[in-house]
Amino acid sequence: MMVLYCLGLEGTAHSFGAGIVTDEGKVLSNDWDMLKPAQGGIHPREASRHHSDLGPGIIHTALEKAGITYSDIDLIAFSRGPGLGPCLRTTATMARTLALKLDVPLVDVNHCVAHIEIGCLESEFQDPVTVYVSGGNSQVIAYAGGRFRTFGETLDIAIGNMLDVLGRELGMGFPAGPIVEKLAKEGSNYHNLPYSVKGMDLSYSGMLTAAKKLFSKGVPIPDICFSVQETAFGMLAEIAERAIAHTKKQELLLTGGVARNNRLTEILEGVSERHGTKFHRVSPSLAGDQGAMIAWNGILQFKAGRTIGISDSQVLPKWRTDEQDILWRS
Amino acid sequence: MENIIAQGAESIILKTERWNQPFVLKWRQSKPYLFKDIDLHLRKTRTSRECKMLSVARSLGVSTPAVYAVDLSDYTILMDYIEGTQFKQLASSLPEQQLKQFCFEFGRSIALLHMGDVVHGDPTTSNVIVDSKSKLWLVDFGLSEMNATVEMKGVDLHLIHRALETTHWDLQECMLEATIKGYSDTVGKEANESLSRMKEIRERGRYH
Repeated sequence: MMVLYCLGLEGTAHSFGAGIVTDEGKVLSNDWDMLKPAQGGIHPREASRHHSDLGPGIIHTALEKAGITYSDIDLIAFSRGPGLGPCLRTTATMARTLALKLDVPLVDVNHCVAHIEIGCLESEFQDPVTVYVSGGNSQVIAYAGGRFRTFGETLDIAIGNMLDVLGRELGMGFPAGPIVEKLAKEGSNYHNLPYSVKGMDLSYSGMLTAAKKLFSKGVPIPDICFSVQETAFGMLAEIAERAIAHTKKQELLLTGGVARNNRLTEILEGVSERHGTKFHRVSPSLAGDQGAMIAWNGILQFKAGRTIGISDSQVLPKWRTDEQDILWRS
Repeated sequence: MENIIAQGAESIILKTERWNQPFVLKWRQSKPYLFKDIDLHLRKTRTSRECKMLSVARSLGVSTPAVYAVDLSDYTILMDYIEGTQFKQLASSLPEQQLKQFCFEFGRSIALLHMGDVVHGDPTTSNVIVDSKSKLWLVDFGLSEMNATVEMKGVDLHLIHRALETTHWDLQECMLEATIKGYSDTVGKEANESLSRMKEIRERGRYH
């Protein structure tokens, strides 16, 4: 049997990544670069500029590290959405150009679905409840009736975004999550913050406002970080728990950039223990936005017979997790 | 003699017997993985809130189990045992007409709450019990709130929509339509405000 090589390109937001994965599920390389704005948040135009400037070099490095050349590529997969329009378009343009030039099939990948499937590849989970937490997303997802369905999500801002905005307020750099995590370990006084769970959804904006208020009242930063983490992660644990109780699934998967947080992992491990489910946290190199997950999803779709023509491959900035038929699962 | 009926996300539901009658004992256990202040706060507020809101809902015309005892030292509530089946488990096996009728009733119950400025907080088909006389009972009021604003009602409706699309994906259109009809027919003209808020909320929090 010949091995298939898939090049996956990820560029939905502030990171651009390229990864090479084989149809046997081997990640041969996974290279990326994240735009770190000097101040403020991410500007979509600057991020897309970042991708077009660095993209070709990153793709080249990914090939080199995988030990293959352009002519070895059998398949190109790209993040079609959801994400920031300019970033998606830049990434899609690179993918289309390569597919045309190399004369290989193109596969469109849903970014959120890719996060779940790379987690399943690594954990060997069959059918998990997935907690997907990142700068732009906070969702609890499970497979049902041919699709990945969003059982719960944030009603306003994503957890990573909440941590970044708070971090900016407290004078931290970007991304703020790791700094908040570090400082939280030095905090010990818990300050009450709004805990807002609605069914299987949650809301972080009230908590963010209250946390900013603590800062203006002079509460020490470590205590704020501690209180924010315990409250925000407690809410996530609850909606994960509700999804497990509701779906009766036996596996819990934590993925996305915020999966790197050890306290969140500890809390979700506790949830798993209580419900007797298996638990897996996606390893750091596969947790954030990167190309390997796009490549792996490209393989899954290609094997299920799905490719996309260049003329149909316009980007989908608002592509929801539950809008794609999952052909490779049944 | 106590049997576990269900292990919920935040509680264990036990069937028990007192005075030769069946009762439900809802027990909010400690969650060791939560920070202890948060854990205690949630168990306490939700237990007392649930007791209160079960009665408030009944006074608004919604069938709910009656509360007999509450113990805030171990976070338990003793309430009526409703002989019946979760709507969630029933839905796919019902004839369409009956399914629509139950959805209509579900929408009507939520409407009665909203008209009294109360939201249920977790209005899924798991929290609706259908008894042998085809009567609908609403349970699980731990997330229920009073003095509800349009926003809170919109979220409540959004949660119904979400529950239908995730759990009853193959019946969601028919179920949603009947539920909304039950809701609008009961509330009247003012239903539009909460319903359009529901649609608005659905579009938020998305990656744009």
